[in-house]
Amino acid sequence: MLLCFFLITSLSFGQKKLNPSPEEITQAKALREAHPDEDIVILDQSEKITFGRDKKSKKVNVYHNVSEEMMNINTRADIQKFIIYNGESSIESFTIKYKNKKDAYVKFNDEAISDDDMFHHDMRVKYANVDFPLQGYKYFTNTRKKTRDIKYFTSVYFAGKYRSLQKTISFIIPDWLDLELKEINFEGNDINKTSNYDKKLKATVITYTIKDIQGRYDEKKSPGPSYIYPHVLVLAKSYEYNGKTTTLFKDTKDLYKWYRSLVKSMKEQPDHLKSKVTELIKDAKTDEEKIKNIYYWVQDNIRYIAFEDGIAGFKPDESQNVFKKRYGDCKGMANLTKQMLKHAGFDARLTWIGTKRIAYDYSTPNLSVDNHMICTLFKDGKKIYLDGTEKFNAFGEYAERIQGKQVLIEDGDSFLLETVPSSQSIDNLETYTFNAKIEDNALVGLASKSFDGESRASFLYYYNNLQNDEKEDALVYYLNNDDKNLKVSNIETSDIDNREQQLSIQYQLSQKNAVSSFDNEIYIDLDYEKEFGRFLFEERQTDYIFSFKKHFESKIVLEIPSGYSINTLPESLHIDTDNYKIQVQFEQTGNTLTYSKAFVLKNAILKTSDFETWNDTIKVLQSIYDEQIILTKTP
Amino acid sequence: MLKKHLFYLFIFGIISHSFSQNTTIPEKWNNESAVYLSKNVHYTYNRPRNSIEFNRVIKEKVLLLDQAAVTNFSELSYEKDNSYISYGTSRVTSTYDLKIKIIKPDGNIVRVNTKETLEGKDKKKLAIPNLEKGDIIDYEFQMNVIMGENDLYRYKPVELLIKDDYPILDYKFILDTEDDFFIAFNSYNGAPELKDVSPKVKKKRHRKRVYTFELKDVEKNKSNRWLYPYAELPCVKFQVNFARTGKYEKRAYAFIPKEASIIKKTVEKEDVLNLYQDKFAPKGDLGKIKRFLKKRSFKSDEEKVKAVFYFIRHAFFTRYIEAWVADDADIIYPYSYYGDAIFFKEEEQFVKYFAAFLKDHKIDYEIIIGTKRYNGKIEELLLESNVDYLLKVNTKNPIYIESFDHLTTVNLIDPLLEGADAYALEVIKRKNIEGIKTITLPITTIEDNKVVEKIDLTIADGFSALNIEKHSIYSGQTKRPEQRQRLNFYDYVYDEYKKFGTLSLSDRIKKKKLKADFDKKFKAIKEKMAVKQKERLEKRTASEYDFEIENYDFEILKNGRYGIDDDFELKESFTIPDDLLSKAGKNYILQVGKLIGDQVELEDKEAQRDTNIYMRYARSFADEITITIPEGYTVAGLDKLNKKVINETGGFETSASLEGNILTIHAKKHYNKNFEPKENWSKMTDFLEAAFQFTQEKILIKKL
Repeated sequence: MLLCFFLITSLSFGQKKLNPSPEEITQAKALREAHPDEDIVILDQSEKITFGRDKKSKKVNVYHNVSEEMMNINTRADIQKFIIYNGESSIESFTIKYKNKKDAYVKFNDEAISDDDMFHHDMRVKYANVDFPLQGYKYFTNTRKKTRDIKYFTSVYFAGKYRSLQKTISFIIPDWLDLELKEINFEGNDINKTSNYDKKLKATVITYTIKDIQGRYDEKKSPGPSYIYPHVLVLAKSYEYNGKTTTLFKDTKDLYKWYRSLVKSMKEQPDHLKSKVTELIKDAKTDEEKIKNIYYWVQDNIRYIAFEDGIAGFKPDESQNVFKKRYGDCKGMANLTKQMLKHAGFDARLTWIGTKRIAYDYSTPNLSVDNHMICTLFKDGKKIYLDGTEKFNAFGEYAERIQGKQVLIEDGDSFLLETVPSSQSIDNLETYTFNAKIEDNALVGLASKSFDGESRASFLYYYNNLQNDEKEDALVYYLNNDDKNLKVSNIETSDIDNREQQLSIQYQLSQKNAVSSFDNEIYIDLDYEKEFGRFLFEERQTDYIFSFKKHFESKIVLEIPSGYSINTLPESLHIDTDNYKIQVQFEQTGNTLTYSKAFVLKNAILKTSDFETWNDTIKVLQSIYDEQIILTKTP
Repeated sequence: MLKKHLFYLFIFGIISHSFSQNTTIPEKWNNESAVYLSKNVHYTYNRPRNSIEFNRVIKEKVLLLDQAAVTNFSELSYEKDNSYISYGTSRVTSTYDLKIKIIKPDGNIVRVNTKETLEGKDKKKLAIPNLEKGDIIDYEFQMNVIMGENDLYRYKPVELLIKDDYPILDYKFILDTEDDFFIAFNSYNGAPELKDVSPKVKKKRHRKRVYTFELKDVEKNKSNRWLYPYAELPCVKFQVNFARTGKYEKRAYAFIPKEASIIKKTVEKEDVLNLYQDKFAPKGDLGKIKRFLKKRSFKSDEEKVKAVFYFIRHAFFTRYIEAWVADDADIIYPYSYYGDAIFFKEEEQFVKYFAAFLKDHKIDYEIIIGTKRYNGKIEELLLESNVDYLLKVNTKNPIYIESFDHLTTVNLIDPLLEGADAYALEVIKRKNIEGIKTITLPITTIEDNKVVEKIDLTIADGFSALNIEKHSIYSGQTKRPEQRQRLNFYDYVYDEYKKFGTLSLSDRIKKKKLKADFDKKFKAIKEKMAVKQKERLEKRTASEYDFEIENYDFEILKNGRYGIDDDFELKESFTIPDDLLSKAGKNYILQVGKLIGDQVELEDKEAQRDTNIYMRYARSFADEITITIPEGYTVAGLDKLNKKVINETGGFETSASLEGNILTIHAKKHYNKNFEPKENWSKMTDFLEAAFQFTQEKILIKKL
């Protein structure tokens, strides 16, 4: 087909008025020079939060207005300006204007957000594609979002997607509303706060201003946002209407009360679980065995499929449903565990918890305090926490993400606050040993690996989720790193379904191309793995979080061939700080060389304040890794 | 896998419920992740009243043997097939139905409520409850499309591999049709033939026809390097056409049987002739070409044809690229600046236009009908969608022209057509296509398809990094993917404006202010694109190696857009931080082998091969690496850098020599053909292994 484009009157666009002025171009250039990786900067941003009472629903509504003056500081920028909402909120207005304040006539789209981790939720995004054709080009945007119930309006953050040169956040708190603003992570940030009473509005106006706040970090393995960005938690305590005071979340007990009301509204039919529970405990000789049988059955048989749609985000699904469907989210699994244990005669209770991602504890009554649910077992005066979402977790061991966190345990109309115990890195010990000798320019010998605690759980999870027909190959790939130079054979493992015992794997290893002979010398690249050899933090701005407290030990023993002696050995390394320990040592005894390494990440975190010494250590480590072991022919 | 199935396999019909409840599987499959106890694919084409109906049912019973299979089947989703939403003016009703039940090991049957499906825009999804290891998931997915009044309708072609990711105990295919549906169907590579099991009773109208085949014990699909599955594995292909009997039948599409009662199994040369003799009738206003030729003279027709081809490529394509970019970035409405903005969107139009030129200049040509090698052989051709066409201009040295885009050059055809047999439609007196014969398309060789790289390596002070200057020349088929990845429009359109005396978009804008505004904005687009281009090139070059590169820069020396002999040339520079060097006392070890780039790393299980070897084209790679050895050092270990494995399938050969302080390494690798029979696999692995081993070699840079 020939495509013909008819002559149309070319648009006599008044582009001139929209193009950046020389001053704007100068400003954009200066900003780009200061922030060479950024495209968009918000010159001025103003957020206003107001409140209203809905007579019908008896809820306090929250209106969040955001006005922005955006500038492109790169040559050209094409962005999506978006706003996210869900079933509890709606977008009341969304406008994008040129710098002359005339409508930019962009097309708005509204879509459900898909999330690989969550099967279904009610999050949606409204967005428009916006292009900035020139450096210094500007748009004015305005959004107004309504949250229908104040309890879901939990916090306001100062850092957004882009850098803001000037930002104000104002709360207009009417006299009828008792609201506390809890300021978090303000230290180190130059935030100015004013509080005035507006007689006309009969409201207190609290205004925060901050200058030049950079956009949110785009870094993986960072702590949750509540740890790193300044924000205010919105604690709505009560409101008055027609002389009557209605309590919202004044205290932790009010939060619990609401949670409790959701639990009470569940239509539990635990009879459905009876026969399964009986089957699980009938051969158990001890209480512990009974509990384990039930806990492990939930871990192994209930798939994690999350529905976070409206109240389903807070109210657990009934145990009979989760049991029947064989899937559920954390709440569903916690409740099923509870009901099955109850049926078996134990005292088990629902337990709310904020994982390590959340900085708060229950001293703040707010829905953003928790994000997870587990089950607490009361046994012999002790409390033991059971998390059905943690696959291959041994009874009595706790995943890093809940360790040290405060829990809210149901206790009738009252509640209990406790803390999940923390483990030591040694509990997660992982080891590697290789007894090698040189044969045909390869390192050959018996190797072994062992795993405990969370290192064991993560290995078991990976392994047991492989297809049967791939398991053998996958184990080989795992051990040979999918590298042709490593040949693995005669693999023997301990019981690969046992989540309580140390897991061990023994195998015969042949590492080719690790040995080079030149003239009278043999050069050996003894260390294949070179753990942490590339683990440098050069530009990182946030703490680095490990999935658990690691403790790794490696020992490679080399038999020195007769007629050869070791020339020189690399230096040893030993560093021990509050957060980590790294040790590397070479030792020669007779005709054997022992090369040992240990890496301990004591708290599963490297703080930005650790980075400098950490990087220095890693550079020393790299130079050790780069050095070859040289064997010289003895004359 | 269910997800995948419902996505990709679009199937139909009312299913027969005759599945046996046999759940025993052969012992050889005990260690599989899952086994299809049965897989039933049922297509139905019906004529309810004046409508035509298409129904497809996929019914599968899967025994889940491990947790991975349970996870795989625990969330199910399918997308609606939007291609049926509207067709002409007739009304289309599409419905989807999903039935799922789970058969527990004790025989209990649990029906899944599929009404709880969550609906997205075009996607529906469902979490499958109560699924455990040892269960059988039994599901049926039905798609039904009813179209209103239609005289002619061509359904989408179907190509099915009779293989899946899990083994299949019992595979059944059913095709139900009535009169007025014309079927082209064939089985390939050992898939069973279709059997006619139509009911015996003969009705006057709309006679029902049923065809089927069955297959037992189908092993699962294995991924394989260099394999074209449809050329080698059991598969079926079919297409159904509806043509109301009577006058419409004659107007029906090509590639269908003469009568509805016959199943067409192959396409004859005559079918091809009938279809294409009108399709490629010369057509087009040759004014532009006449003006182009006016001031030019040529030594031969061959030269003229090539020149005109490149002119057309510019006049009807590359001339507008700036306009498309400007339009896409929304900075101007560009088309009004081109007068008669006409460009070719489909290749068919180009062929007609080019044919018109050839006819006008009394140059003989043929239209070649071929099929890509991954579809199988031309004599097995069945589906029109598997057809590719090209022009062969019968100048003294014939000129082949295949596709039409900004990179197309004459005589470089799709490598998947190279060396394959094809039908040539002879155009007598450049007007009527009156004969058809089988020909073999030309094939490029290792001499045509070369990658030549020169790498200059210097070692930074203190052995802290390696500095690389690289000069690459890509020729023949090897240049196409490189051009696609690395070139941007501004790398060539401005030269073309000069060459053909045309104007850039900016030059077309006469109003000064408007032009100044456009220039600024267009410059911003190009600057942004150039940043992306550099990132893309760096990524592509880095992907050739298994070490990191830094400080990347590049320069395109030659675009290679004019002819098979016009190479694509590139100069690059980068540094390799410290990956390839390691300290050995006072000396250094350099992993020199890695500089030839990543090589095929064959797994142990690839040693045996039971399928033939299909590659895109024969090719050769030649590297010349020169390394300046720092003062005060010498090298040891050069003996390991001399390798030679050459056989009929290809080869790998290297040599190293030291002259003064310059170490020169030559490495050559070549794949002689685009196809090798499986019997030659061990010969190929010989040189592939040698090439891999070379990448592991090291030299010692020794302190004097």
